[in-house]
Amino acid sequence: MARESFDKEIQFLRMLVLTSGAYNRQQFAKRLGISVHTFDKTIRKLKEIASASGNGNQSPEEPNKKFAGALRLNYYDSADPLLLFLFRAKSLKESESLRLALLLAALHEKPQTALELLGVCCNAPDAADRALFPDEKTIRSDLRYLEEVGVIKRVPGPRPYRYRMQDDLVRQLTDEELRDLMNFVDVMANTQVPSVQGYLLRDHLKRSSGSGCVSGVGGVSDAGEPFLYKYHYYSRILDEAHLFMLLGAIQNRRKVSFLYFSPKSDTSYASKNTNPLFEREHEGRTEQALPIKVVYDHQYGRWYMLANNSRDGIRKYRLEGMTQIEEGEAVAKELFEEKRSELEARIKHSWLIDTGRAVTVRVRFFHPGGSEPNFVRDRVLLQGQWGQIVEEEDGAFIYEIMVNGTMEIRPWLRSFGSSCEVLAPAMLRREMIEEWKELASYYESV
Amino acid sequence: MNPFEKIFNYQVISRLEDSGTFMVTSHERAWLKLMLQHPAAEAAFAAETLEKLQAILSEDVSLAVKEHLIEKARSEEKQVYHPLLRSLSRYITERVALSLTFSIRDGSQYNAHVGVPYKLEYSMVKRKWYLLWYNVRKRAYMSTKLAKIVSVVVADLEPQHVQRALSSIHDRLSKRKDSAVIEVMPTYNRELSRILYAFSCFEKTVDYDEDAGVYAIRLSFLSDEREYVLSKIRFLGRRIRVREGDYLRGRMLESSRKALGRYAEAAVLDADSEGLAT
Repeated sequence: MARESFDKEIQFLRMLVLTSGAYNRQQFAKRLGISVHTFDKTIRKLKEIASASGNGNQSPEEPNKKFAGALRLNYYDSADPLLLFLFRAKSLKESESLRLALLLAALHEKPQTALELLGVCCNAPDAADRALFPDEKTIRSDLRYLEEVGVIKRVPGPRPYRYRMQDDLVRQLTDEELRDLMNFVDVMANTQVPSVQGYLLRDHLKRSSGSGCVSGVGGVSDAGEPFLYKYHYYSRILDEAHLFMLLGAIQNRRKVSFLYFSPKSDTSYASKNTNPLFEREHEGRTEQALPIKVVYDHQYGRWYMLANNSRDGIRKYRLEGMTQIEEGEAVAKELFEEKRSELEARIKHSWLIDTGRAVTVRVRFFHPGGSEPNFVRDRVLLQGQWGQIVEEEDGAFIYEIMVNGTMEIRPWLRSFGSSCEVLAPAMLRREMIEEWKELASYYESV
Repeated sequence: MNPFEKIFNYQVISRLEDSGTFMVTSHERAWLKLMLQHPAAEAAFAAETLEKLQAILSEDVSLAVKEHLIEKARSEEKQVYHPLLRSLSRYITERVALSLTFSIRDGSQYNAHVGVPYKLEYSMVKRKWYLLWYNVRKRAYMSTKLAKIVSVVVADLEPQHVQRALSSIHDRLSKRKDSAVIEVMPTYNRELSRILYAFSCFEKTVDYDEDAGVYAIRLSFLSDEREYVLSKIRFLGRRIRVREGDYLRGRMLESSRKALGRYAEAAVLDADSEGLAT
């Protein structure tokens, strides 16, 4: 069976969260390049998952706006990552989900053999209604799967083998220690990347500790959750969906092929035919490239794949635009290493991912006046990456950095407002003046 | 490693609800093992707990990401864990009152102020921890850097007073809400995704006027977060315009005039020095 792809759900949730209810059903479906019928079906499925996973229980009317409302960031009540339920979307037959749950609950009681577990399944109270009479082979293959994903473990000893839950993390720790673990997982999942596994672990720890009921979306049950994280790009976990596949491909030096929708195009999933040459299907481009690095940009909370393509050299893709990713052939180690060192050299001076010509940007930053603490300096030191303060002046200091192109650093410089004056290159200085003139014109008519 | 495992399926999870079954995959353990390598782990656990965890995870392989993953434009990571996090997070969950000795910006120290802790807040921008709490004596909602806290001891306060302090925090938070409407300049609609990503860290709703092709983002934030909102607006430059919000509009005008003033002054200086040279 083909690997289940969650492209549609990911694109769907991303658009829902980012645009926060801006579109009605028709507009939404049009932008995703799907029919309104598919739109309705997808939202039904996502809602079912969300409510079963603990978030959201909305009425069926106005699915779009209500659901968007439920997923809206509500800072003081949002200890649980709202989008995590996406990772619970893998389809499963009802009988299979029932069987896996029975097996896990039975193993949670005590270690058991495959035959004993078969008995558990066949004697389950509602086994008959659900036609749940698995054969031994099915149980064995379930056990193999559970062992493979590391949820259970074979107990050492003679045949017939017994299996036990691999739950030492909670069994061997005291309540106090578990609390520390829970806090640590919370802090790390929220402050580090990647984070999806951390959020899943946090959720599992929480469920097993009995405080299982995840607080309702938009509810006020924030009591007891001690931590808040300010200015968090919480939708980033949607892009982590592709991350592990790409990291795996890099590890194995494999090319990937995918259908790419540049985030600048109007449609982001699969769309109508605009070009008669391509018959129908989509407006995305099929791409093939050798992934070398994945980049997380903290400035916008976005992910990129940096890759090599035999025709064009270094290529950059935004993870949010990548769909239908497939692993392809592997390349020789020497070739990969060569491309990797080439790329590493080219991005050494990238503020983000620009591989353009390197220039030295020289900037004067002004101290805030009066007795205020010098937050301008603090911020430059904190965010200025590899740049250096090269000169101190009366009431100001000079900062210098070598970067590839000036495009990517410009927003950061501009964010300092009048505390920053670009000295060089002259071109950037002129551009900043032009931008400030235009910005002034936006507000002068007050 | 695929984060879409069938074991994570929502039906399996909801069927196991209330059974107390703890299910953890090797993916999660690999992630945890990677995180335990971070210096924060030492502040987060007692030494013997850390050893125990490492022993439990000894057969797992740590998530191999660091080599292939680069983080860009990240603030320097000064502090992920603070030694006070462990005790303070417990006090918050237990809803007890505290007596705090702390210093403020100008260096002056406040001794033994009784208060009720509300949340621990981490600023992803400043990479620092803050305690949000209610100062009973001053009747004030406070945000104090953990680094500025000199000592914390549990204080005696009737549960109903603790409760009152917490509801007063809720009231204050809702009263200090500010809002603004940011309009995307239609010529930059192609960059909508970038703009929405940049604002995704705020509480917001978006309106779309299809006829005019105009997107308007309504942001809600606390009034003391205005400076950060402003820096975001300046960050995005001419792509957006503050449509509603007099304070922000006024500040944007001031910023742009002052910035232009800086460049004009410099131009005059340049002209002067050229004049001297010739």
